[in-house]
Amino acid sequence: MGLNYYHIFKRVKEARKLVIKGITAAGSGHPGGSFSMAEIMGCLFYKFLKYDPKNPLWPDRDRLVLSKGHASPGLFSNLAVAGYFEKSEIETLRKLGSKLQGHPDFKCPGVEFCGGSLGLGLSFSLGMALAARIDKKNHHIYTIIGDGESNEGQVWEAAMAASKYKVDSLTVFLDRNFIQQDDYTERVMPLDEELVGDDISEMWKNAARWKVGDKWRAFGWNVLEIDGHRIEQIVKAINTALQVKGTPSIIVARTIKGKSVEHMEDNPKWHGVAPNPQISPIIDLELDCQFLISPSIIAGDMTNLENEVKRAAHGRSDFIHLDVMDGMFVPNKTFDYEKIKQLRPLTTIPFDTHLMINDPVKYVKNYVDAGCDIITVHAEVCDESSFGEIHDVLHSNDVSVGLAINPDTELPVWSEKFIPTLDQLIIMSVIPGKSGQKYIEATHEKTQRIYKFLQDKKFEGLIEADGGVDLTNIESCFLDGARVFVGGSAIIGQKDVRIMICEFRKKLMHARRKLLIQKAHSLGGNDLVNKWIDLHEVGKKKTELLQIAKEAGFV
Amino acid sequence: MTEFADMRTVYGETLIKIGEENPDVVVVGADTTDSLKTKPFGKKFPNRFFNVGIAEANLITIAAGLANEGKIPFASTYAAFLPGRCVDQIRNAIAYPSRNGKNGLNVKMVVSHGGLSVGADGGSHQQIEDIAIMRVIPNVKVFIPSDTISVENLTRIFVQSYGPFFMRLARSKTPIVHSKDQKFEIGKGIVLRDGSDCTIAACGITVQMALEAADSLKQEGVSCRVIDMFSVKPIDSDLLEKAARETGGIVTCEEHNIMAGFGSAVSESISETYPVPIRRIGVRDRFGESARDSEIPLLLEKHGITSIHISNAVKEIRSKTR
Repeated sequence: MGLNYYHIFKRVKEARKLVIKGITAAGSGHPGGSFSMAEIMGCLFYKFLKYDPKNPLWPDRDRLVLSKGHASPGLFSNLAVAGYFEKSEIETLRKLGSKLQGHPDFKCPGVEFCGGSLGLGLSFSLGMALAARIDKKNHHIYTIIGDGESNEGQVWEAAMAASKYKVDSLTVFLDRNFIQQDDYTERVMPLDEELVGDDISEMWKNAARWKVGDKWRAFGWNVLEIDGHRIEQIVKAINTALQVKGTPSIIVARTIKGKSVEHMEDNPKWHGVAPNPQISPIIDLELDCQFLISPSIIAGDMTNLENEVKRAAHGRSDFIHLDVMDGMFVPNKTFDYEKIKQLRPLTTIPFDTHLMINDPVKYVKNYVDAGCDIITVHAEVCDESSFGEIHDVLHSNDVSVGLAINPDTELPVWSEKFIPTLDQLIIMSVIPGKSGQKYIEATHEKTQRIYKFLQDKKFEGLIEADGGVDLTNIESCFLDGARVFVGGSAIIGQKDVRIMICEFRKKLMHARRKLLIQKAHSLGGNDLVNKWIDLHEVGKKKTELLQIAKEAGFV
Repeated sequence: MTEFADMRTVYGETLIKIGEENPDVVVVGADTTDSLKTKPFGKKFPNRFFNVGIAEANLITIAAGLANEGKIPFASTYAAFLPGRCVDQIRNAIAYPSRNGKNGLNVKMVVSHGGLSVGADGGSHQQIEDIAIMRVIPNVKVFIPSDTISVENLTRIFVQSYGPFFMRLARSKTPIVHSKDQKFEIGKGIVLRDGSDCTIAACGITVQMALEAADSLKQEGVSCRVIDMFSVKPIDSDLLEKAARETGGIVTCEEHNIMAGFGSAVSESISETYPVPIRRIGVRDRFGESARDSEIPLLLEKHGITSIHISNAVKEIRSKTR
């Protein structure tokens, strides 16, 4: 089974947008903590939880307890996406007569715990788990607690008791976003180590300063520590937790408060403030502009692909791009599923497998079984029927579906019916077959055109730019509409993969900022540009944004 | 001779009986299970018994989680700590959550060591605020039984009726005031003596005092109606109105602060239905202190909670109403 990466990714994005919609309409609410746990929620709702929106109190359902109840928009948005109620209802958030109360409430179907008063959810979950034990039921209980919430002594009362009762049907997430209402957590009440100075990123640099996992270990818990925005890490941690018997598990998920919206990220101010309605459309666009880096390992040492995977992983890439060539669809030959099977244990990072092979329908299951998470096949060697078959095989195995087109190929007419459920479209910008070619300039125009076309056809996936993408053209590729970027010789071919990925991200960030400034300007002229830039209080963001705006002549 | 019996023992025995009848009954304790007499339930039903240690917040919230899944948890410890230590948990984890027309979660909070009659442990442990705290929380029903017959009946009613209930037991043995076949109903007071000159409405251990006061007043030619108002919330407004109309005055008795307690509840009701003079017997807004068992009547006397004080209050009311 794959990660179901895009399935989760798309819904996380949709839920984040609903959070903004709801909070903006309400004029109050908590975006910061809703966004720090967005990927955790996504993995739970769209991969693990067993539930039935038509029968919210189905006795065998898994329970999700949101103990940090102020992040209720982050729960409500996912209940809406999951089908418990109409998405448009999110706009009734916090309004008189709404089922969407300021904090999670049984008035809303799917809510398992009336949260809000902090520190209660874990005890409540333990009660649920003990009841299930009496009844010999096998459902699982997932509980999300906050780091500020962990100031509450009751959290530790519950920690002791859950350990005493050895409840392995309980898995807790600690949303470790380092911010509580007043300030950074390490200043208000340190869970790790007291923060010296103003830079929260200091805490991220030195893992030796992270102590909160040890606290839970001392209480007898199985502790897993992950990056709480990485879908693959969350999925792996949950899978591990589910297999641990005789002890409760806690997943310490290091997260970023306000994640995905630059001006909210790591800023304590956005714990509980609603965005200005003028700003919301810009945030919406920002959420559409999340980008991913997918280094292609064939640009490295073909005799030691294991090492190339490790380099990409060390560089914190989002995907690992695997170019499979069969010597027939393209003249070269690289490797096949047997090799992928060998590489799979090296990392949890999603395998973004690009099949440049004839008759992909014949082999696709082998690649599923080898552990690929995204599989892209070429339009040139598929038709409606074979692609339909591939599409179904991938979906039923939680593998995301990609379609690729060569520089001289347009999207085939038969592909249109698949667009709404397609996860990824690779637009090749070199002739496929070997690494190190130059980007074909005409691809820019082609990508822009296809991007527009896909928007009209309700495409929810991402366009991947593949071929000759480097630091000189990546910004243009982004502005064309691509959101995933394959880096071959420009990343793997370079000495320091980590630095190159950072450079890629910096360029992309620059392009995104430019796009958002343009958006602000189109909505409200220089005034709105300035207003939006002013929101970026943390770090050097504001200075950098002003520079971009100046270059664009907007300030 | 008045017969005395221990409320906690009867509570523990009743729990076992209902535990046999109803597999959903579970018991949660906080290191006071020996004292609350719930330990034998744990021996008999080890899978349905949870001792969470000295952690009352956790006690209440775990009980809420159990109730959410259809169990009927009895959460018990001393009144000083429940509600004293966990008001937020009672409010937000038990009383507030409501769905499908069911108000609050089905947790039964049964505490002992209520009031001044705790004695030797002193003022820190003499809970004189629990009625006030519990009765202002929406959805919570509050019961102050006067004897073991009440305790047994109420414990059974607790299993049969849905909702968050609170019941306060006394530490010491209490005199039996009810007959074995007495029927109990939520929200219904029990008239123990009929009378026409004044009404004494009492709860808990003060019911016996009320009866003694009525007896002595009878000698003086004053006919008192005595009501056991074990159901403090919901309160029997109809019975109180009738008493006010027919006897012209009410004395309330409680082993609790007179502010916001039982007397206040009666006053609130009467002031809206049929206002008559009221005198409240109870702790006059100050803390208690240590007293050995033999000294407990003296402690109560120090706080003005005796049958003599009740008699005097009746006389005072009658001097006003005539």
